[in-house]
Amino acid sequence: MKKILVVLFSVVFLNTSFAQQFDIVLKNGHVIDPKNNVDAVADVAVKDGKIARVSKGIDATSAKKVIDATGLYVTPGFIDIHTHVFVGSTPETFANGSLSVSPDDFTLRNGVTTVVDAGTSGWRNFPLFKDQVIDKSKTRILAFLNIAGAGMRGSPLEQDMNDMDAYMTSLTAKKYPDVVVGVKIGHFEGSDWAPFDRALEAARLSGKPLFVECHLPQFSLEDQLKKMRTGDIITHSFEKVDERMPVVDEQGNLRPFVMEAKKRGVLFDLGHGGAGFWYSVAMPAMKQGLPPNTFGTDLHRFSMNAGMKDMLNVMSKYMAMGMKLKDVIQTATWNAARAIKHEDLGNLTEGAVADIAVIRIRDGKFGFVDAGGNSIEGKQKLEAELTLRAGNIVWDLNGISAKKFN
Amino acid sequence: MKNLLRKRLLKLFISVLFVFPLSIYAQKIDILLKGGHVIDPKNKIDGVMDVAIANGKIQQVAASIPEANATKVIDVKGLYVTPGLIDMHSHAFHGTDVDSYLANGLTGLPPDGFTFRSGITTIVDAGSSGWRNFRQFKKQTIDKSQTRVLALLNIVGTGMYSRYEEQDTMDMNPEMAANMIKKLYPELIVGIKAAHYWGGFTQVDRAVTAGKLANVPVMVDFGEHDPPNSIKDLFFIHLRPGDIFTHTYSYGPKNRETVVDENGKVKPFVLEAQKRGIIFDVGHGGGAFSWRQAIPAMQQGFLPNVISTDLHTQSMNGGMKDLANVISKFLAMGMSLQDAIARSTWNPANVINRKELGNLSPGTEADVAVFNLRKGDFGFIDIRNVQFKGKQKLEAELTIRAGKVVWDLNGLAAKPYDPKGEN
Repeated sequence: MKKILVVLFSVVFLNTSFAQQFDIVLKNGHVIDPKNNVDAVADVAVKDGKIARVSKGIDATSAKKVIDATGLYVTPGFIDIHTHVFVGSTPETFANGSLSVSPDDFTLRNGVTTVVDAGTSGWRNFPLFKDQVIDKSKTRILAFLNIAGAGMRGSPLEQDMNDMDAYMTSLTAKKYPDVVVGVKIGHFEGSDWAPFDRALEAARLSGKPLFVECHLPQFSLEDQLKKMRTGDIITHSFEKVDERMPVVDEQGNLRPFVMEAKKRGVLFDLGHGGAGFWYSVAMPAMKQGLPPNTFGTDLHRFSMNAGMKDMLNVMSKYMAMGMKLKDVIQTATWNAARAIKHEDLGNLTEGAVADIAVIRIRDGKFGFVDAGGNSIEGKQKLEAELTLRAGNIVWDLNGISAKKFN
Repeated sequence: MKNLLRKRLLKLFISVLFVFPLSIYAQKIDILLKGGHVIDPKNKIDGVMDVAIANGKIQQVAASIPEANATKVIDVKGLYVTPGLIDMHSHAFHGTDVDSYLANGLTGLPPDGFTFRSGITTIVDAGSSGWRNFRQFKKQTIDKSQTRVLALLNIVGTGMYSRYEEQDTMDMNPEMAANMIKKLYPELIVGIKAAHYWGGFTQVDRAVTAGKLANVPVMVDFGEHDPPNSIKDLFFIHLRPGDIFTHTYSYGPKNRETVVDENGKVKPFVLEAQKRGIIFDVGHGGGAFSWRQAIPAMQQGFLPNVISTDLHTQSMNGGMKDLANVISKFLAMGMSLQDAIARSTWNPANVINRKELGNLSPGTEADVAVFNLRKGDFGFIDIRNVQFKGKQKLEAELTIRAGKVVWDLNGLAAKPYDPKGEN
């Protein structure tokens, strides 16, 4: 009996001491975890790819790796809900084409651990997208399915109403429930509302949000917003292009029906891209209570080297426009996770997957450019020091997790 | 009729009056980079100067060029202005063949995402394609990129499809490789690549034969032999002056002979080989840069002729990151900025025999990089995840390719936002 007790005792004891052995402890960073209302200096412990603990003064003596994050911000890995990453070799094309970009090239170095592809694929070529990109990337890739069966193949193929099938789209969404986060409508040039309605129907059948992209010149903004449900997402919110009415009028006043839609719970994504972000729209909109709900970058071949650049540049731009760091982080993490109904992501709750960004704020004189080539100045800029994806270090800008050279 | 003729003559006279003097006395400038510190190693320029760009070409590099004739003036005070960088070792043959790695596979990278933001305007793809698939590479990548993409042609016909195909001596055909260069693409293919071969010197010798036939240099990635083959033999028996040894600072003693011995001494024959004209290229990559090789080499005066990245998906997020980061590592080890710029502009231009590149001589295509030299506490890691500290780091502020602004980090070339203006 005594022996059994000793064995039991040691098993319990060993287990607890084993549980203390964290894989990584990030020490003394300023943790911003909007979901859990954390905004203070604390330690973050990671074990088995998951968040093991967030608190002050975690005993790290038995941790395999301790990283000093003093002076840095520790946040959930960022979620970019608007990208085009179905990269391939088809020329001048987004779907399986050269206008999309490889996700890992742009994500980890910017603290981004999850991207959502915005309908570059439809139900017909989603399996190819999955094999070719999603399953091969370190970044977590989720997707909106285009209502056009073969996704963004360019015009005139994207105009084929016979290839917009709500049922097939919803079946694919249901077959890949962990990857598909919704349905997208965009790039339809006709005046028939059937594509929009089918996209909505597909979203309904899948139980997921609708993502409304650009290039719908015949549909008025007001009608689009009216059709959208609570939780549906409109992107390129602050664009100023001929084919869609801006959310503010000529005097810079937010249009009443836009505010109504927001009150109803329609979500406004940034969708910066090459032409989707203008200070003359975004600034008055923010002043009047319409900041972006999420910071979709609309990353693709033409935005990557223009005013957009990358997620951190977009976030820094909003800091330059006066948004507080805490709100910027919330927009890039918890807001995004909720918008795509992935509340398992975008937070540092114990047990959550350890997708973490460690961010430095650079002080200096920086400039940020919009789609019209207009520039504003900012005094701060975010830089990703360290990125963890499922507990693995996937980016380390200055070697803060490395051994020192002797 | 006469009247009409007179009118026409008058028109002509007026246009001559207005247009001609303008072009004589006040050459139009599209972009004027004002007040930057110009480093142009070819022309031995190292000081504050202005750079005028017109019609996609360098028009003039001089002190105090008047602003009056410039369409756009960009203030680059406090920044460094250099020729657009040349990354002589990169992998850009991205594609969708999931069985392949660097030839039309997922390990190569579409170039434009990594070039301009690092000040690069020209890359040399280091043997991702061979003569069998070069045409596809050209159509798919070279012709579709804003970056100037040149190539070393793999001596293996299928290029870097997988390590297994790369062993096929039957597919190492010097004549076909040389034909591809001489007869078809002398403008794009700048040399031959030999890499990843597990046998003796067969592959290198075939590559050199091809190099002789096409009159181009050969780049050798000389590892993966167990036990390692002699690099002394490589340098003195097999390669010619002008041929390139890449992955210079790799430390894989089991299957790759190192340039620095176990006591931290640069092997004397390595210095001799460099004197003989063998070109030493960094080719950082995911596995080919160790402080334990690079630091003693630098201290003992053995410097790389060319600083390059070996960019691919397995190096981009590790210690390599991008060319500006790799150059900054050399700054951290004590190399001067001027020297580092030479080794990433004019040196590689010479090595690949493209002397129209990597310099700011008037008349050359206006490929220009503008850098901010950040001061602070930075760390740099090697492929063994060892950190070495530095006080400076290069950041690409502005990149111009053939006279066009293709990267503008902080909006130096942009107009300030005016809430009351037309935006």
